[in-house]
Amino acid sequence: MKGTHLGEFQEIVLLTIMVLDDNAYGVSIKREIKTRADRNISRGALHTALSRMEEKGLIKSWQGEANKLRGGMPKRYYEVTNKGVNALKEAKDVRDQLWNEVPRLRLQHNYG
Amino acid sequence: MTNDRPSPPPLYERLFEWFCKENAFDELQGDLEEEFQQNYRKHGIKTANKLYKREVIRMMRPSVIKKLKSNRQSNFSSMFRNYTIVAFRSIARNRLFSSINIFGLAISMAVGLLAISFLSEVYSYDKFHENRDRLYRIVTDLHRQNGAIANYATASIYTGTRLATDFTGFEAVAPITKGLRGNIAVGESSIPINGIYTNNDFFKVFSFELLSGDPSKVLLEPNEVILTETTARKIFNRIDVVGEVIRFENGTQYKITGIAKDPPNYSHLKFEAIGSLITLQEKNRSVTTDFGVIWSSYVYVLLPEGYSLDQVQQNLDRLAEEENPKLVYWTLSMGLQNIDDIFPGDGRYNQFSVVMPKEKVTSVVILALIVLFSACFNYTNLSLARSLKRAKEVGVRKVVGARKGNLFFQFILEAIMVSLVSVVISFLLFNVVKSEFLSLDLYIERTLTLDVSTQVYFYFIIFAIAIGFLAGLFPSLIMTRFKPVNILKGASSIKTGNGVGIRKVLVAIQFALSMGFATLVVMAYKQYNYALNFDLGFETENILNVDLQFNDVDLVKNQFSRIPEVTGISSSSILASTGSSQSNWVKYKDRLDSVNSYTFDVDYSYFKNMGHELVAGTGFDEGNDQGKIVVTELLVKELGINSPFEAIGETISYFQKNWTIIGVVKDFHYGTINDEISPFVFTSGRQDHYNINLKISSTNIVETMRSLDEAWRQVDQANAFQAKFYDEWFELTYQEISASMKIFSFLAGIAICISILGLLGMAVYTAESRVKELAIRKVLGATLSNLLVLLSRNFIVIFIISALVAIPAAYYLYQETIVADAIYSIELGFWEFGSGALLIIIIALLTISSQTMKAARSNPAESLRNE
Repeated sequence: MKGTHLGEFQEIVLLTIMVLDDNAYGVSIKREIKTRADRNISRGALHTALSRMEEKGLIKSWQGEANKLRGGMPKRYYEVTNKGVNALKEAKDVRDQLWNEVPRLRLQHNYG
Repeated sequence: MTNDRPSPPPLYERLFEWFCKENAFDELQGDLEEEFQQNYRKHGIKTANKLYKREVIRMMRPSVIKKLKSNRQSNFSSMFRNYTIVAFRSIARNRLFSSINIFGLAISMAVGLLAISFLSEVYSYDKFHENRDRLYRIVTDLHRQNGAIANYATASIYTGTRLATDFTGFEAVAPITKGLRGNIAVGESSIPINGIYTNNDFFKVFSFELLSGDPSKVLLEPNEVILTETTARKIFNRIDVVGEVIRFENGTQYKITGIAKDPPNYSHLKFEAIGSLITLQEKNRSVTTDFGVIWSSYVYVLLPEGYSLDQVQQNLDRLAEEENPKLVYWTLSMGLQNIDDIFPGDGRYNQFSVVMPKEKVTSVVILALIVLFSACFNYTNLSLARSLKRAKEVGVRKVVGARKGNLFFQFILEAIMVSLVSVVISFLLFNVVKSEFLSLDLYIERTLTLDVSTQVYFYFIIFAIAIGFLAGLFPSLIMTRFKPVNILKGASSIKTGNGVGIRKVLVAIQFALSMGFATLVVMAYKQYNYALNFDLGFETENILNVDLQFNDVDLVKNQFSRIPEVTGISSSSILASTGSSQSNWVKYKDRLDSVNSYTFDVDYSYFKNMGHELVAGTGFDEGNDQGKIVVTELLVKELGINSPFEAIGETISYFQKNWTIIGVVKDFHYGTINDEISPFVFTSGRQDHYNINLKISSTNIVETMRSLDEAWRQVDQANAFQAKFYDEWFELTYQEISASMKIFSFLAGIAICISILGLLGMAVYTAESRVKELAIRKVLGATLSNLLVLLSRNFIVIFIISALVAIPAAYYLYQETIVADAIYSIELGFWEFGSGALLIIIIALLTISSQTMKAARSNPAESLRNE
């Protein structure tokens, strides 16, 4: 598959950013993943994922406002780029195709 | 709510700040903080802290941690180039300071180079032996009945033989004795040979190499000899001479069974030939058969791998226990000495060759270190004083992004460059003073050459880098500490007090050293002169002592008496006051306590010739003086006789003979200034005379010596005329004082040079940096002398403190070393104590005022015009 390959964690982060829309920054992303997927991720791990995806051009970021709660440090907001959306779609397509190819019987058997 | 917000654990906060990448820091730090506050509100401070810590720990991942190395390496080489260029520019811009630094360092580094080549040479001795860790020498301690112990480097050959045959635990035992000596006739001339005797184990114990001959088969038969390459060439002009025979002039013959490589320079064992020990053993000489004859033989052993020193020592003790009952006057004990401990050594008697004492090595190192530190102080001082001028550079570099480490590296690099330039100059100096250093001391002269090997060159460079680092360390540390904000706001806002205290201390130490050495030189010089001109109680001026060299006394006297310049002739068995001695106990009547008295034998004209004053009685006659004796006043007193006159005609016993006192002379110094006046007796015609004392009154001493030489040749054609004036004898006797005087004046010269150079730099700096202040003062009416006092006041305080430290220290050293053994020494007055320090203070003040005058004389308008 040409283009970008998304890791599972990266996919979740990308989706979360899209869900959060214009309020996607470190803490909110982390919180959202915690509530939706019940996954406790460290901020450091999140940083790794974010910076790697930004390098690939899947997301872009800009510096936001600072507040007292943050000790005067500015937020950094993230937004998924078109390339990121395409990558997500691609990943979804692959999965959908695969799902479609799975024999119904096997599915029933598995879930039954 | 806003005010009582808690803050996260500070340690972790700082930790995070420290390791986090700068470009991600704001975001991450903010997120951490925000989360912390949320957690605090939800779960309380404890959990919030715990979570915060966990988060920080988990932040340690490559995407977050700053990249240290890659960052720096990328521009390391270009920065290095920049530092080098800046260093060159700064050296070139401040010519005066740079040359002071370079020259000062060069002088002292020359001493350092001396010390390095000295050390590397001293410690390269005997390193060519392969089994050094197992190679030991057996040494002997001689215990006298009165408890005195004498340590000898020797051991008897008998000990070696017994160890080899009757004891186990030795892989090889090589007894060695000197004495393979004699001349070998080669055509017209004869070649002297000085060799050793040893056995076959010699080549197992040591790593001396055989060029020809089988090391396992040599030295087994009597009258076998191995020649060294050089000796073989001298005798035969070739080295394929195995199987031939050499014949000594006394008739003994040796068969050559091997040719050995010459022993290396750095071997304490040196020889020109090796004879088989069995040659001596067959003749049953006492040197090979007696346990007690230890004087000139050595035993070297090679111990097996995994030896136990205790075991060997027990064997030696057992041997001593067995053999000691055979000895009468003393007992012997033996010990082991590793080959590495032989040179430099611990001052045992009868070493195989001259051995450098360990203390000498230590003192050379200490003195070199003192001089070196002194020069490093100069660099430190001048760099510190001038650090303000570099402050702007530091500020700009810091603002542009230089870290402390970068700046530190830069300044250290600069210092190292200065010291590398210095080492080149110091190498030239080193070559100049090398020969002087070699002749400074008997041990150094006899054992070292100070040739520089590649390895030593390498040491020199390492040394230069180390010195540069040391000198630059302190200024670099101070300069990197400057705060860019303060610097760039304007130089006036930086405290000028940077390192002023340290600078003063360093100057004080330098001057204390200079003054100390100078004072020592003055004291040593006075003591030396005192010793040379010491009133011994008899005439020494214009007395020429001729070594008789076993010629007939009367024959030689007769020849000399024909020379008109010789106004008096006498002869004696020993030369008075030159260090040799002979003594015995004088017994008088039935007194139980006898008096130890020195003595030598003289002829009838000795007293008159040497100016000894007779107090009572008469001197010796030309006729028969058997049984007659002349004594000194002190002996008379110690024997309990009331007056010299009563002593005449009394009989005393000396050397188991009875003597009649015929005269009493005034006391005189028989020994050196290290001995007290002691009782003395003169005998006449009792034994052989070895010296003729000529009283010379001549206006042309060279001419006189020539005619004396001619007269001598009438009697003895074989041996050269040997004569020394008393003055020359005394110079030899007090060589030790003159040697330490030389060393101290050498050091004093260097120390003074360095400290005056440093002071000059400081004075220039002070005058320059206060030029405006001086101008204003001058405008307001200060006189030249006011300004002089103002600028030199601080220095004078420093000098006085230095003098207060240096003079007592010098006095202590003088007492401990130069006059440690002397009974008679100079009285120390103000000039002895003070002249060294005064001289230096005067030179120093002249240096300072030369600079101050320049600043003070300048037109105030010139210096105040700008700004």
